[in-house]
Amino acid sequence: MGDPVSWLLGLSAVLLFSVVIGHILVALLLIIPTWRICQRAGFSGALALFHLVPLIGSFIVMGVLAFSDWPNGEAGQQRPVAGR
Amino acid sequence: MGAEIAALMGFFGITGAFALIGTVLAGWMAWRIVEKAGLPGWAGLGSILLSLTAVGAVVPLILLWVFAYMRWPRDEPAPASPGYAPPPPRGPPPPTGPAILPPPPAALADGRGWKLTGVLGNGGTVALTVYGGPATYALTGALATAPTDLSVPDPSVGQPHARLMTAGQRLGLEDLGSPGGTFIDGARLLPEHGPRDISAARIIRLGSVELSLTRA
Repeated sequence: MGDPVSWLLGLSAVLLFSVVIGHILVALLLIIPTWRICQRAGFSGALALFHLVPLIGSFIVMGVLAFSDWPNGEAGQQRPVAGR
Repeated sequence: MGAEIAALMGFFGITGAFALIGTVLAGWMAWRIVEKAGLPGWAGLGSILLSLTAVGAVVPLILLWVFAYMRWPRDEPAPASPGYAPPPPRGPPPPTGPAILPPPPAALADGRGWKLTGVLGNGGTVALTVYGGPATYALTGALATAPTDLSVPDPSVGQPHARLMTAGQRLGLEDLGSPGGTFIDGARLLPEHGPRDISAARIIRLGSVELSLTRA
């Protein structure tokens, strides 16, 4: 059967790899629409890559979108002529 | 045994508190984001609260995709108001500069214009110079027929494609709805956005032609 320590190490590596791949796949589902939202708001789409940061990444993206002025203008405002 | 149970309860209590704070924060931010897009704020809050229900994270995820690709009320043409004159969608440029790009109140005396340089799809180069002072220029893929025409001879550039406006020390750009699209530093400019100040922009893209914007 082999050394149990090696067996455990192998299992841990497989589990860790699965978690990382799963995290990236889930983040991708969030990054694609968020990339477009950021671009439509006037920010760089790359801001959406914060979703790759575990736990707090989504909060960072949402915080930027929620609490900063959108360069492409916001509803209820006169269309901005001057860039910010 | 009691200590272990107490520790576990403390752990889950802290976790629950973080989850509660996170949910409230996310709901608040979602409210603000959808309001900025012109939708009712409760829709954003509701989509976050949905994640607490049996539908889990799937429905909020679907709503996120819908929100990203739907038409936002913010992008609807604004109704005419005394303080804002919507630009005409197409046609030749007006003979005078628009009044909606007034010079800044503390503009420095600077007579320099702007320079747009780039490479065309066929490998050729284009260099356009826009001088200061109130004027309106048409960026077009056709050959220049008027002094205010700025020709970018590329198939991906509309005829006309966009409008450049100078006022004081500011340079404005307005998309005229060409299929190739107009981009300011990578961000799409739509006709309904109206004129935008691009004085601080670096890259303007018309169709597939990227133009670097510098002071002349």
